[in-house]
Amino acid sequence: MTTPPPPHGPAPHAPAAPVTRPHAQVHFGVFFQGVNHTTIWSDPESGSQTDFASFEQVVRTAERGLFDAFFLGEGLRLRETRGRVHDLDVVGRPDAITQLAALAAVTERIGLVATQNTTYHDPADLARRLASLDVLSGGRAAWNVVTTDNAWTGENFRRGGYLDHADRYERAAAVLAVARGVWDAFPDGPGGDVARVSVPGADLRTPRDLVLDVTTPRSPQGHPVIFQAGDSPQGRDFAAAHADVIFSRHGSVLADALEFAADVRRRVVAAGRPEDDVKIFPGTAIVVGDTAAEAEEKERWVRRAQVTPATALSIVGNVWGEDLSSYDPDGPLPAHDPVVAELGGERGSATTGARTHEIARQWRAVAEAEGLSIRELVIRNAGERGFTGTPGAVADALTRWVRTGAVDGFNLSPWIVPAGLDDVVEKVVPALQERGAYPTAYTGTTLREHLGLREPLTRRGARERAHDAESEPALTPVP
Amino acid sequence: MTDLTTPFLVGLDVDGAGAHPAAAAATGLTPAELVGAARLARSVRWAENAGVTFATFTDALLPAVPGSPDSARLDAVTRAAFVSRTTTAIGLVPQVATTYPEPFHVATQLASFDIAASGRGGWLATTTLTAETADAYGRDPVTDLAREARDVVQAVRDLWDSWEDDAVIRDVATGRYVDRDRLHHVDFVGETFSVKGPLITPRPPQGQLVVLAAAGAVAPSVREPLVDVTLVGGSDVATARAAARAATGPATEPATDTATGGAALAVLDLEVVLDTDGRTASTRLAELEAATPAGARTDWGGAALRYTGDAAGLAGLLAELAASGDVAGVRLLPAVLDLDLPVLARDVLPVLRAARLTAAPRAGATLRETLGLPRPANRYDARQRSGTSRTRPAALPATANA
Repeated sequence: MTTPPPPHGPAPHAPAAPVTRPHAQVHFGVFFQGVNHTTIWSDPESGSQTDFASFEQVVRTAERGLFDAFFLGEGLRLRETRGRVHDLDVVGRPDAITQLAALAAVTERIGLVATQNTTYHDPADLARRLASLDVLSGGRAAWNVVTTDNAWTGENFRRGGYLDHADRYERAAAVLAVARGVWDAFPDGPGGDVARVSVPGADLRTPRDLVLDVTTPRSPQGHPVIFQAGDSPQGRDFAAAHADVIFSRHGSVLADALEFAADVRRRVVAAGRPEDDVKIFPGTAIVVGDTAAEAEEKERWVRRAQVTPATALSIVGNVWGEDLSSYDPDGPLPAHDPVVAELGGERGSATTGARTHEIARQWRAVAEAEGLSIRELVIRNAGERGFTGTPGAVADALTRWVRTGAVDGFNLSPWIVPAGLDDVVEKVVPALQERGAYPTAYTGTTLREHLGLREPLTRRGARERAHDAESEPALTPVP
Repeated sequence: MTDLTTPFLVGLDVDGAGAHPAAAAATGLTPAELVGAARLARSVRWAENAGVTFATFTDALLPAVPGSPDSARLDAVTRAAFVSRTTTAIGLVPQVATTYPEPFHVATQLASFDIAASGRGGWLATTTLTAETADAYGRDPVTDLAREARDVVQAVRDLWDSWEDDAVIRDVATGRYVDRDRLHHVDFVGETFSVKGPLITPRPPQGQLVVLAAAGAVAPSVREPLVDVTLVGGSDVATARAAARAATGPATEPATDTATGGAALAVLDLEVVLDTDGRTASTRLAELEAATPAGARTDWGGAALRYTGDAAGLAGLLAELAASGDVAGVRLLPAVLDLDLPVLARDVLPVLRAARLTAAPRAGATLRETLGLPRPANRYDARQRSGTSRTRPAALPATANA
């Protein structure tokens, strides 16, 4: 569990920071995330989380709002709590590439981003499916690269939990090398042959070397755009070396976002790339109202609706390592100390041992000091997230974030599906456009163009080689 | 024996430039044109407008001719998902191999595709004979292809049922989105892999997508018929009809990998080369054969029956097959899509429709409805199991050999 920002700390857009990019424009993506408690499925406004029509409505709304990208997450095993499927949040989602291929047929410009895990996909299949989406969408595909080493997830796959934690980014880099090889294999013009891709099994952690002949020609954007979402130092280095866009968590506090951006740019330069080669898109939420007070009220309602009584008990139960569903959510935290149990799917990260006791101790202290019930504490811990205010105030804040260089854009997570994006598109986008801080039309056709990205990393070599025999060969795998 | 109330089925393969290995070179399209969205959508819409029952999307991970841009091809599920939103009636059947891909991913992708297609999805489950495909996965070659196919199809079918239809309850009073008792670990254990489940995607609209497979490709399971539609071939009409009768007859001893039978429907694979473009079919075929690259990986000239001739002759052959009652339909494999499909659409399929032998699928119908197949009960739903002698599937052996 990440440490939440203080609930009544500095407003997210308060600190002064120098404007370094006075003409930069805000960019938006939308993350159709679904399967955690940010999606308020219980509201009467909330539609089907499964029907294609819901996805279509969100993506069409986003395209109407000139968004750069529509994101889908990936699940490889349903979340479980103590051996049973977690039942309080939205459960179930489509395969990302399949769903995005269907959405490509009903959209024209918006980018389509598929989260896909490098551990439990075979690189030959994954690279080909991403290339297929990229070609059919006319160069609008992206791959959000994620890793895992979780043996519990591996129970759904042929090889089980085969990968050591320390090897997960090595495997990811090797999978990406296969993918770039696949995407570079077709000749640029008529007459040439399709190159063969080879990557050592030792790099991929496969029993034998991978040797692959390719069937997928290049799309108009050359390669699918690469997103990366890991926040650890290793994850940031991976992004600096390989990614076009970082999907960060730093979307609520400007000082934090500036610090993150500086760190990323340092790593990008260290990787031998121009410092603006990697775009930063934090996940965030936008709540608007006609007045500041109305927006604040709505934001409080959202936070409360996201943390139902059952969800509050489940979140506290995960720290305590036991089923607390019989507790009163409007009553105090358990009086006894947490049980430190084996890791399950729900408790995937670092919530173990001493850390569990430390979290429980902090929560008790806060709850006692502020007189909070279980549910009130969980709501408080979620913190203020994102941007809340009138459309104009939110537009000012978003513009400031972009023009101080903290971010290049924002990935919005609507809390109501499918109508949750309407306010942003109908109110915030026009306010940004009035400020000259948002496009008034799509100018390109590909996602790479929307994001203002350079050529794919391995394609730059090909261009330069035409003029400079000394430069790197085009098919060298990304280091 | 075919149900007389279901019209004769006419499937059509819409892959690339056509089923003949020289089709792409003969068509003269660039790789980008060959696989692009515009051509894909147009081919399938054309088939839908012609009243075709279902389109298949032939696929393979590896190219027909390594190194050749003419072998350009995109992933079949991705293609089928794309055209699911540009069509409303035609069944869509991507080919997905069982030999190397992950069963969990296959199940998820096909379930998602069926949701996008509003229940018009099928799966042509195939085995991969090409030894080089193992190299593309960095794995050792699979030796028992039919057994692996059996385990993969069985695991996928279990996963499609791992959500009961009414698993999503949205019970605001208790805060529960799903009833976890209606989600099931499948605990499938096969010869070479196991899968825990449940699937990440809810049960597809058809419950189970329609599974098509060539006769003998999928070894039988002791638990259930794994294939809904068996694709048969034959060197002449008589042998093809005999193969169809065998495919839909009683299942033979499941312990043998060459066992047949048990499928609901048999469909005849039929390669077609038609008189068109100012040339006779046999002239066209001779030109294509002469232009075929040496060593091309292709199913052309394999098990399928072949028709070479004019449109009237083909209409007559299809009418004869429909009247025989042995085959439920055909899957047409056009030598060159852009040449043979226009003739099919103009001179062959309208004749059959006029004679009420075939009927275009109804917009909004699921593929199961179009094929006259029932929507299956869920194997994990206790209410639907009650009154039968079945025990819990998780307790059943996953395979004939287990």
